[in-house]
Amino acid sequence: MRYLKGMFLVIVLWYLIGALVSSPIIPLPDKVLSYLLLHADEHRMGHHLLTSLYRILGGLSIGLLLGTTGGLLIGRTRALDAVISPVLYLLYPLPKIAFLPVFMVLFGIGDLSKMMLIATIVFFPAAVSVRDGVQHIAPQYLLLARAYHLSARQTFSDIVWPAVLPSLFSSIRITLGISLSVLFINESYAASHGLGYAIMNSWIMAQYTAMYAGIVILSLLGLTLYSVTDLIEKQVTHTDH
Amino acid sequence: MLAIQDAQVDYGSHTAFSHFSLSVHVGETISILGKSGCGKTSLLYAIASLLPLASGTIDRSVEADHCTIMFQQDNLLPWKNVLGNVLLGLPATYRDEAEKLLERVGLQDQLHHFPQQLSGGMRQRVALARALVRRPQILLLDEPLAALDEQQRELLQDDIKTYVRTHQITTILVTHSIREAAYMGSRIIIMTPGGITCQAENPWIDDPDLRTRDELFGLEQQLRSELRDTL
Repeated sequence: MRYLKGMFLVIVLWYLIGALVSSPIIPLPDKVLSYLLLHADEHRMGHHLLTSLYRILGGLSIGLLLGTTGGLLIGRTRALDAVISPVLYLLYPLPKIAFLPVFMVLFGIGDLSKMMLIATIVFFPAAVSVRDGVQHIAPQYLLLARAYHLSARQTFSDIVWPAVLPSLFSSIRITLGISLSVLFINESYAASHGLGYAIMNSWIMAQYTAMYAGIVILSLLGLTLYSVTDLIEKQVTHTDH
Repeated sequence: MLAIQDAQVDYGSHTAFSHFSLSVHVGETISILGKSGCGKTSLLYAIASLLPLASGTIDRSVEADHCTIMFQQDNLLPWKNVLGNVLLGLPATYRDEAEKLLERVGLQDQLHHFPQQLSGGMRQRVALARALVRRPQILLLDEPLAALDEQQRELLQDDIKTYVRTHQITTILVTHSIREAAYMGSRIIIMTPGGITCQAENPWIDDPDLRTRDELFGLEQQLRSELRDTL
């Protein structure tokens, strides 16, 4: 419901700006909607959407897997924290998109270089937030684990992992938006598939309605990914046993 | 059942307590009183193997799994429901026993509630069930009722006392309340950082009307006076 209200507000604003500017560069929402319903297939929008979804899920999975594992190791090992954390802080603020050419050379111009760039962006906030989550676990929970003779596996699954999940989901939410933006830029260069390519190609061809259709699909993809993240978080942060 | 010989616990250069010796028989309930910082909690942690001894020995004639501690804070995990908290680290075969214990402490309708949905008294009842489901032979209680109001406190005192006396569980209770120490303990000791300064017996412990007996009042007075001397 709250999403519908937000979408309604965006559409009203879009109409207002479109009416004020009155130029083909801003087609009105109904025109874009009718394009999406009737002509999206002509520009293979479904294919571009699936390509972008594949790249973003691949990048997120690699980044989260490496970031979470790294964060857990750093958080649980003081010596590693002392060595790795300064490196993380040094590399974290670098604009990863600047390394796009390096990624293209290393991983080619296919899907892998795009996934690896997203993975690199996701890795840092995931590693830092999971590390912080581990280090901020209430000491009384770890004392409880010792007092009640929990094995290392039980301590991890019953205490450490549930305690870091909220931090991990926060980092996913923060990086989702950035990942989509980076994917857009990434797909604008040396690509022939994906929403970024579809949007930029439509712009070059002066097909503004198709361009806006691509932008709408990209926004809806972001909204869907955020909603799915919220849903998964609700499912996994409370357990019955 | 439990023999402590000349035990000492240090935190770096600071000694929490020293020269502590105590023998506890099976099924006995020991209450420990003492001013703040005299090492009561450190003693319980040492018995539970959560702290190492600097010197001395603690001989528990039971497996480590059968020595269970209940903390001052309930320490319930917010991401687990009541049943999940009680079964923490235990196999599913304990489920029936966990449900029985939760029914016994009046939480049969809250099995699937999360800790944040419970009152302070309910949370401590869950923590009690979590300690008891492990079938302890030695139960260590670190001021578990300190945060509760008087009424809740008395109800839980009765629950704990009835259970440990019925099941002959050797119990060591650390408390700041002289009344609680006198009511719960078959033996009450006063502890200082240098060891035990006083011991008193409570032969009326199993009397169901103990709360209203003059003897309890007399015991309280005696302990109050002894405790004042340690300050």
